[in-house]
Amino acid sequence: MRPTAPLILLTAALLAAGTLTACGSGSESDRDTVKVAFVKDTNGKVTLRDDYVRLVARQFERAHPGKKVRLIPVQAAENDYYTKIQQMMRSSKTAPDLVYEDTFLINSDIRAGLLRPLDGYLRTWDQWGQFEPSAKDAAKGPDGHTYGVPDGTDTRGLWFNKKIFRRAGLPADWRPRTWDEVLDAARTVKRKVPGVIPLNVFTGKSAGEAAVMQGFEMLLYGTGQQLHDPVSGKWVTGGKGFRDSLAFLDTVYREHLGPEVSDALSPSIQTRVAAELLPEEKLAIDLDGSWLGQQWQPTGGRPWPAWSTTLGQAPFPTRHGAPPGAVSLAGGWTWSVPSRARQPELAWQLIQTFQSRPNALEWCVRGAQIAVRGDVAADPRYLSSVPGIGFFTGLVKVSRYRPALPDYPKVSAAIGEAMEAVTAGEATPEKAAAEYDGQLASLTGGHVVARP
Amino acid sequence: MTGAVPHAARPAPAPRPAAVRRGLLRWSPLAPATVLLLLFLAGPVGYCCYLALTDTQLTGQESASFVGLANFRRAVTDPAFLNAVVLTLVFTALSSLLGQNTLGLALAALLRRASRPVRAVTGAVVITAWVLPEIVAGFLLYTFFERRGTLNALLAWLHLPTQNWLFTLPILAVSFANVWRGTAFSMLIYSAALAGIPQEVTESAEVDGAGGLRRLWHITLPMIRRSIGTNLMLNTLQTLSVFGLIWTMTRGGPGDRSQTLPVFMYDQAFMKSLIGYGTAVALLLLVVGALFSVVSLRLLREEV
Amino acid sequence: MPRRPSRATRHRLAADAALLVTAAAFAVPLAWLVLSSLDTGATLRVRLPDAPGVANFAAVLTDEITFTPMLNSLLLCGGATSLTMVCAALAAYPLSRFRARFSRPYLLTVLFSTCLPVTALMVPVYGLFVRVDLIDTMYGTALFLATAQLPFAIWLLKNFMDGVPRALEEAAWTDGASWAQTLLRIVLPLMGPGFGVVTVYTFIMMWGNFFVPFMLLLSPEQLPASVSIFTFFGNYQGIAFGELAAFSLLYSTPVLLLYLLISRRLGGGFALGGAVKG
Repeated sequence: MRPTAPLILLTAALLAAGTLTACGSGSESDRDTVKVAFVKDTNGKVTLRDDYVRLVARQFERAHPGKKVRLIPVQAAENDYYTKIQQMMRSSKTAPDLVYEDTFLINSDIRAGLLRPLDGYLRTWDQWGQFEPSAKDAAKGPDGHTYGVPDGTDTRGLWFNKKIFRRAGLPADWRPRTWDEVLDAARTVKRKVPGVIPLNVFTGKSAGEAAVMQGFEMLLYGTGQQLHDPVSGKWVTGGKGFRDSLAFLDTVYREHLGPEVSDALSPSIQTRVAAELLPEEKLAIDLDGSWLGQQWQPTGGRPWPAWSTTLGQAPFPTRHGAPPGAVSLAGGWTWSVPSRARQPELAWQLIQTFQSRPNALEWCVRGAQIAVRGDVAADPRYLSSVPGIGFFTGLVKVSRYRPALPDYPKVSAAIGEAMEAVTAGEATPEKAAAEYDGQLASLTGGHVVARP
Repeated sequence: MTGAVPHAARPAPAPRPAAVRRGLLRWSPLAPATVLLLLFLAGPVGYCCYLALTDTQLTGQESASFVGLANFRRAVTDPAFLNAVVLTLVFTALSSLLGQNTLGLALAALLRRASRPVRAVTGAVVITAWVLPEIVAGFLLYTFFERRGTLNALLAWLHLPTQNWLFTLPILAVSFANVWRGTAFSMLIYSAALAGIPQEVTESAEVDGAGGLRRLWHITLPMIRRSIGTNLMLNTLQTLSVFGLIWTMTRGGPGDRSQTLPVFMYDQAFMKSLIGYGTAVALLLLVVGALFSVVSLRLLREEV
Repeated sequence: MPRRPSRATRHRLAADAALLVTAAAFAVPLAWLVLSSLDTGATLRVRLPDAPGVANFAAVLTDEITFTPMLNSLLLCGGATSLTMVCAALAAYPLSRFRARFSRPYLLTVLFSTCLPVTALMVPVYGLFVRVDLIDTMYGTALFLATAQLPFAIWLLKNFMDGVPRALEEAAWTDGASWAQTLLRIVLPLMGPGFGVVTVYTFIMMWGNFFVPFMLLLSPEQLPASVSIFTFFGNYQGIAFGELAAFSLLYSTPVLLLYLLISRRLGGGFALGGAVKG
């Protein structure tokens, strides 16, 4: 017998490895290349951000001959995106030069040393003065340095269906002044227009930060309480405002004013609200974000031409109508430079291209973003871009930012659990608040303070 | 893990060079697999053991510090962890021990008596469920159990009360899903085992007038005991680490009512960024799996 | 007077009835998949399409959604499966044929490691891959996928191999054949069905793996279908059920085909039992 057998096995293994090597593209660490990592919508049909980033990248390449922009879109749910960019940023081999950071997470990444302060660049940048002071603060670390340039923000309020309102005998220029007026409107809808979900408030763990921000914090900040006390620098345990906010949720779901509990807690609820319940006019009132309209534009994921005449907007009221009478929360994303980036200079130049006035305007118009630059916010093209944009831009002055602290994501997860327990009927608001207190102490290392 | 295992033969007390060389040559085919396992599995597992002893987070932390066994101590007092342990045991008992194993045996026994076309159809359907990718299977079962899904439509059609399965009985729903997906494996194993029983044995029992159940209990089961043991062990190990199916169907919810250990581990390590704690949980899961296998191996050896 | 059916016939009818009921129960979710893929207005329930058509397939059969990820998947999982099978067959041979004190602990260690959730390993593996420059490479990812499936493959193959009688090999050895020749010419052909089943099983597990390629591959053009189906699901759950079903069906096709192919050629998956009879 000839000793061919080992040869065959070896060849098979080599062939397998060879095919794969041939396909793995050589990772370039070219000195003229700037790598940009950003999140891509999980809906492959929504290419707003990709298109915009590509447009700016091409502009940059034209303006800087010889330089190349390499795009790394990460198509994933937000949490998986965070995990992935954090891993990438940990090593200088895979760290992108420019990264798209959620203000939700940016402070955690600052604390972990993953980002680079931009103060040196910002000091000499003539455009920085155009940015709203509150937006500048969103990317400021506890050390007082700024780690990102925001490219827009978002605000939150009530969307309501005017047609359903007419059938329920409610006004088309609805302006609730207290929580009770919101609930009363929902009860009226439930009575007069059967078959329609009266009020959606995001809740639970699956909806993630959408539930905590659009649902819980919109309520809490309207009670006069806060999550974090800036004076003592400590997290506030679940006081009366906290319990009242959970009680509001309890009312919505116990009185069946909201979606079916199982639907409300399912991971798909956000998509269903935007792509199904609102366009199909099965939902009367929705506590949601300024970006919804983007989905219904001809280029969005679910075109709906009639939305601008069907839907009205109203600010979300404070608990008993205490001044300023309305409350909103602001989020948004920033462009940041990882500390292990190889081309920070190029990255900074790319940020400048992104945030030139015309490009910033372009992004706000395309992405239904709320402008953070004063000159963009006043631009007629911006103000006429999407119906309702003026309304949501107006909410910026009553908007609060989330506590810009590294522990925030963990606290947010604990709030989501409290909401889920109340919504599912597993705990009373009091019990859920008590459990939150216990978690809060262990999550923040005991940095808690009680407020009545 | 595999690091503790030498990958060359330990020869007899006074090794002669020729024997050593023969031993090395004999065991050399083990090398490629061992190298891969050491590099890509044992290495990372070793690093995991280290991570589990620290308070490392994915983000939000300047530097990690060594905390000894604090993560493990925390786990055993964490109600969420204990809940996950209980749910894992329920899930494994329901879907693996009771479901896949029993149904697989029943199907295998019935297949031997059935007519040819029925055998072909049943085999094909059950095996298709096994072959489908996990996420597709999870999604199919999600549509089946969902409130507006097929199961409730069928129940309503039969005038039976409907249920919001994924909400009221999530652990039962995911257990059924795992039975749906995994029964084929047991069925195939038991088909082979039953085929191995000599015809005369069953026939003589039948002549003795032994009834069906008694025959099963006294003759068939003891004869395929080894297959049962091995099948139980493999099934259990696979069921313990089921993640994608549950994640697709319920994400561990509502609340934490279908949060088994792998889901809990993912939630802690990646959703909450507590990679140190999450890794400790994963290692505890490994211990549970090892315990299960050791017990079934012991049983096997003593009974045979 | 009609003759009463014999006992054997009655048994067969009872078995047939029981099996058909079970098969129907197993088939309902599958029916949803097939029917919904042809129905543009599909809902969560099984129903006959009003106007069956292939519009759903047309919608997902694009380069970005289907073709590129599927091709990547084929390369990734195909390569990794061959690697796993070659290494596992090599490793199983001495474990099955020769006695040594360490072979039982070796097998047990290998077996225990099958219940470790791979997600737990991803952070260390990412770090390792960055250090050895395997990050964002298809072959690196394939190496890890192959290793992750090795334990189960080795264990099953070793058991299959135990079922192959030694007499034939001993004859070959006396003829002066090397172990490699014996393995390739005598043992493997005899355990064809078992080898086939393990191949299919390995391939299935890799084909559905989301987290490993998602973490280890950075360039979007290299991502396999398991990643794209995840994003597809994450977003569409609750909307385009028809398209989802169509994509799920396309995504499952290679695995089904592989199973059919192997079971045809090797006499069916019913041979799996050989691995565990002991």
